[in-house]
Amino acid sequence: MSTYATTSDSQDDYFGSGIAGAVILHVVIAATIIAAAFITHLHGDRWGENASSVGAIQASMVSAIPLPNRAAPVANSVLTPDDVSVAAATPPKEATQPPPQPTDILIKSKTAPPTKANTGEQATQLPQSVMQVQNGTATVNVQDRAFGNRYAYYVKIVAAAVNQDWYRQEIDPRASQNKSVTIVFDIQRDGTPSNVRIETRSGSPTLDTSALRALQRVEGFGPLPSGDHITVEYTFDYHQP
Amino acid sequence: MTERMRFTGATRSLLATTALACASFASVAHAQDWFHLETSSGAERLRIAAAPFKPLAPEVSAYKQTFDTTLFADLTAAGLFDMVSPDMAPQTTPGFPAEINLSQWSAPPASAAMVAFGNIKLLNNHLVVSGFLDDAKNAQYPQIFAKQYTEDPSEDSARQIAHRFADEIIFRLGGGIAGIAETKIYYVKLLGPNDKEIYEMDYDGANQHAITHIGTVAMSPRVSPDNSRLAFSALGTYGFQIKMFSLLLNRIINFPSTGGADSSPAWSPSGQQIAFSSARSGPSEIWVSDAEGNIAHKLTSFGRSSSPSWNPKTGAQIAFICGRSGEPQLYTMDADGSGVQRLTDGGYATSPSWSPNGQFLTFAWDRKYGPGAPGGQDIYVMEIATKKWIQLTHDGGRCDFPVWSPDGRHIVYANSPDGRQEHTRIMSMLADGTQKKVLTGPGADMPNWSWK
Repeated sequence: MSTYATTSDSQDDYFGSGIAGAVILHVVIAATIIAAAFITHLHGDRWGENASSVGAIQASMVSAIPLPNRAAPVANSVLTPDDVSVAAATPPKEATQPPPQPTDILIKSKTAPPTKANTGEQATQLPQSVMQVQNGTATVNVQDRAFGNRYAYYVKIVAAAVNQDWYRQEIDPRASQNKSVTIVFDIQRDGTPSNVRIETRSGSPTLDTSALRALQRVEGFGPLPSGDHITVEYTFDYHQP
Repeated sequence: MTERMRFTGATRSLLATTALACASFASVAHAQDWFHLETSSGAERLRIAAAPFKPLAPEVSAYKQTFDTTLFADLTAAGLFDMVSPDMAPQTTPGFPAEINLSQWSAPPASAAMVAFGNIKLLNNHLVVSGFLDDAKNAQYPQIFAKQYTEDPSEDSARQIAHRFADEIIFRLGGGIAGIAETKIYYVKLLGPNDKEIYEMDYDGANQHAITHIGTVAMSPRVSPDNSRLAFSALGTYGFQIKMFSLLLNRIINFPSTGGADSSPAWSPSGQQIAFSSARSGPSEIWVSDAEGNIAHKLTSFGRSSSPSWNPKTGAQIAFICGRSGEPQLYTMDADGSGVQRLTDGGYATSPSWSPNGQFLTFAWDRKYGPGAPGGQDIYVMEIATKKWIQLTHDGGRCDFPVWSPDGRHIVYANSPDGRQEHTRIMSMLADGTQKKVLTGPGADMPNWSWK
């Protein structure tokens, strides 16, 4: 037999006053909480009011972002030599050139069209313009001095490259004798020719085609020494003795 | 900024037409005898003088000798320039742009259109080289570019600086195609009857050293287009298998072995695919996988196919050798295996290599192959569009494994003067067959040119 069996049943009848006391206690506690909350709401600090002193929600996250440190400069790199290059100061500046005069700019529509290939007489005006190529001479007439004088070597490279890719076997000799075709094209910044078109037809289709093909064979002249693009006018003269 | 300029090219004579590539193609192709033709010979080549560099300290005189020699050799080997002989050049050593008298260099006998000069000094225990290139014919604005190079002082860095300066000159004056003086050549070194290792050297044959140490037979090295990995085939437990060597990690990295004689790897220009010949399904066929050796699939199905080579310009075509009709012949196909086209019509063709501009194939060919027809194996170049070919080597012994350089102006190949394999050496030449140079001693084979 269990010892709990001897407990009297009469104790179950005395819980009424206990319930009343518990209800009163809960009401008092609830009223106290509400009153305290109301008073605190009226008179207490709001969240974030003293944040600068407390620092709990200080908005300083940016410095905490784990960004990588900047790389230290490499000591032995070619790109960062130890001292200032002697060469850096030497290239002539654009500022040393006189400002372009209005007469320097060629306005094509206002000039008379050339009546013949300017092979001979204009060559004397321009230094570095006559070059020896494989079949006779090619005369380079540069009308923009800023580019043509400063980068005469690039002009010669262009002239030689086109001349090398001009296959004269494609030309009908009899129909093309003493005729000339003028091709105009642009050279982009990376040195590739583009926008190739015939400016003046020669009257001999084989000569026109061979000149066009010469430009199409060229993959590039090398990057431009300066500037965004240049426009080149190339005249192919065909003479066969 | 828009400029406008005018050129006039006048043709007075058609007698001196040897410089035209087309002309030399035709005349050599149909010639019975052997003619030695130089393309781009004559006055239209740019004449360059390389002045001896000025030493600004007595300690750099040894480096200066190396530098001057290397620079002159690089510019000569480029095949673009007419070099002024040091005997004809003025006996001065200009070190700075202010010290050079350009009219002295442009006048005969030097007659130079361009002058490369500069100075060498030691600064903070570093070798500092300042190089200048001047246009001797342009009195007003002579300077084309000026560069300064800083390296640790050693013979090798003096040579590397000279290579870099030469490449800069070639890049500026050679139509925008970068020079090859800084490139490497990978090849197979014959160390013993059963030991062939992959070696590396500079493009001029200097600085030869071993890459692999596998103690077995390695063949056909091929560099990836980013110069980071080397694919080759090596004899292992399962016969010849493709191996991959990382030039960055300096060790062999994983590449799956499948069994069945895989050989002659070839990189696609993107570096993402490898073509190789494999006999895993029976006869030898061309297979393509990705760079890790996965997703392998077969492109051909006629047997006896080997030696693939991608078109490096487009990546859309593969040249290969196939013996489906008898002796091995040269074929091309699209990269998906369609459009197979035969290029050679007889003989025995091997080891094709595609030119960087996609226009030409070079390959080794024995045109008179067979009993009673003694023929030599020589290097040929074929223009793919027209199927016209020219012969580049002649009477020099057995030639094989031609490979284009990244600038498209040079070809490196293996040559054995007496036909014996242990006497095989690496040679290079211009792509028109001129300027043949021996790069190694005997016992070197299967060259491959690194990319720029």
